[in-house]
Amino acid sequence: MQNGLIKYSGLFVLLIFLQLFLFNNIQLSGYINPYFYILFILLLPYDTPGWLLLLLGLFTGLAIDAFMNSHGVHSSATLLMAFLRPYVLNYLSERGEIENKGIPSMSQYGFSWFFRYATILTVAHHLVLFLIESFTFVNLGATLWRTILSSLTTLAFILITQLLFTHRK
Amino acid sequence: MNSLIRFIVKYHFALLFLVLESFSLWILANHTYYQHSKFENATRTIEGYFSNRIDRGRQYLKLRATNEQLAKENLDLRNQLSKLSINLERLQLAQNDTLSDSHYLYIPARVVNNSVNKQNNFLTINVGKLHGVEQEMGVVTNNGIVGIVAGVSEHYSTVISLLNVELKVSAKLKRSHYFGSLFWNGRDYREVLLTEIPQHVALNVGDTIITSGFSAIFPPNINLATIKSFDTKAGNFYTIRASLLCDFKQLNHVWVVKNLHEKESEMLDKKEE
Repeated sequence: MQNGLIKYSGLFVLLIFLQLFLFNNIQLSGYINPYFYILFILLLPYDTPGWLLLLLGLFTGLAIDAFMNSHGVHSSATLLMAFLRPYVLNYLSERGEIENKGIPSMSQYGFSWFFRYATILTVAHHLVLFLIESFTFVNLGATLWRTILSSLTTLAFILITQLLFTHRK
Repeated sequence: MNSLIRFIVKYHFALLFLVLESFSLWILANHTYYQHSKFENATRTIEGYFSNRIDRGRQYLKLRATNEQLAKENLDLRNQLSKLSINLERLQLAQNDTLSDSHYLYIPARVVNNSVNKQNNFLTINVGKLHGVEQEMGVVTNNGIVGIVAGVSEHYSTVISLLNVELKVSAKLKRSHYFGSLFWNGRDYREVLLTEIPQHVALNVGDTIITSGFSAIFPPNINLATIKSFDTKAGNFYTIRASLLCDFKQLNHVWVVKNLHEKESEMLDKKEE
């Protein structure tokens, strides 16, 4: 437990740092804004209590908001993502592919499972994020494009890092 | 009550989500970009610190491009400079033209040593041979003449002060253009005498005395002094007491005057002799 706390604190700081100083500098076009920091929510232990999950989601979003001057945009989206996570895990486990323990990472559950898990939550997060950010439904097409392209980029980075840091057992 | 607690326990996850999401959206709705809270300052400090560090690294990677840009800028500035310096020369010449019919070149100088309390006062200025100063050049300020260069070394020059009883300069009345000889009588460093003005000339206290420009040492029409009083003790001529416009005790920045047509006028003088 103690070990996990330190590990996750380190991961939290690392991800916020990478987001602020690496991924925020990726500005290929207005449509590609990867938000890599959501990996933190994805990688929380399977048995994280619901209230803690929500609080961590809010806290992560608020931290990003504080540094990006976006006031509530990221916290709303990340909180929603944290809220959806147990349902997604439930939905994916109903197919009988996983044992309900450990960390929902690629090394534990394999590429295919993790890919679906990450895709659903990333798209959900990005969609809400870009909707709130544009604060209107007028340019829905642009918002959707932004969601798709950014989600693809974010997912690519998440999958690459997962592949790099997968411990084969 | 029991059912309420049961409801809360059963749906605590969704309820907590709603509460937190409301909070988050409340932040979203109520923010302004002009807040200056300590928290925001702290995040800005952290963000700025790391951004600065990263930018330094990035600058290093961009050195080549930056170099090329700077070199180009340098080139542009150099071209501008050459254009402007030509214009500046023209302007300087034009300015000298407005001061005199002949061409005068001014060498800026600073007084490094000065005295006013002797009968034969001298000054030292911080320009010399290297700056183009020669003997018998005039030294002026913006409101009067200072003296005439007596000797030059590489970096310094000695100037015979106007406050030297042996120095006489040619001066004239601004209003009537009658000229006379101006000199110091060795008493008051703020006062000089103008002689050789004939008695039929109408004088007023306060009239301005200017340089005549006859001597080729000083440019004409520099304001020198104003008439303080006058009497007729010396026969046909007035003796005029005039107060100097420039305060010799506070001399600092002066100009050495180089007469570019000096040789020409000297040759003309010799011919007539």
